[in-house]
Amino acid sequence: MNESDSIKVIRFSGELEIARKNEIRNALAASEDARAVLLDLAEVTYADSIALTELLRYCITAQREARPVALVIRTPQFARLVQYAGLASAFKIFQDSRDALEYLAECARQ
Amino acid sequence: MCPAMRAPPSELRLRCPAQSRYVAPVRRALSAFLQALEFERHSLEDVATAAGEALANIVEHAYANAATDDRYLELRAKLGRHGKLSVDVSDGGSFVERRPLPGRGFGLRIIRAIAAQLTIDTSEGTRIRMMFDSKR
Repeated sequence: MNESDSIKVIRFSGELEIARKNEIRNALAASEDARAVLLDLAEVTYADSIALTELLRYCITAQREARPVALVIRTPQFARLVQYAGLASAFKIFQDSRDALEYLAECARQ
Repeated sequence: MCPAMRAPPSELRLRCPAQSRYVAPVRRALSAFLQALEFERHSLEDVATAAGEALANIVEHAYANAATDDRYLELRAKLGRHGKLSVDVSDGGSFVERRPLPGRGFGLRIIRAIAAQLTIDTSEGTRIRMMFDSKR
């Protein structure tokens, strides 16, 4: 499987919060036909539980459909939010997008 | 400049319509207030995160049955004498106890993880009081 053809990259930046709920949901829904997804959240400066819930729902659906999803999170506030919500094990989180892509490529090979 | 003019404010009060577009500006105002009080970054972000969760909760749930004109959210932050910070987030809606469902309801869990103390008063609208140990 060609990595660039099979991995869809979705990027969000800025503040991922309640006012962007529909935007997040729609962007994620648009990738439901992808075979593997990289959620690049490296440029997100703030996130709340509304955004986190949208990401979780997406990841649960993806897991059910055997579609690997990797998240890139660099912002300390966002990383702590995931911990506080008790969701660290619910996501595959990387600090570096290259590591995330490697993980997804490895999933595709299996 | 006289010393009184240099002193940072010890209280912040904001009230606005309970709409999602007002949540971020209120949270940012709280961050600016905490910055003026010289809160360290990690602590400032955590307090703003907890307040953001309480504010978003109002917009999502408080006013299911109220007329649009009656919907407001209010934030009051105050630094006490002993360095304790209280943040009250309140509304005039109704508090609904919800059954925890998988994949939702993380707001209160996040607030509990951050705040040193949390009380919820539902006697008149809902007021969430969060107490924090200030780290400056």
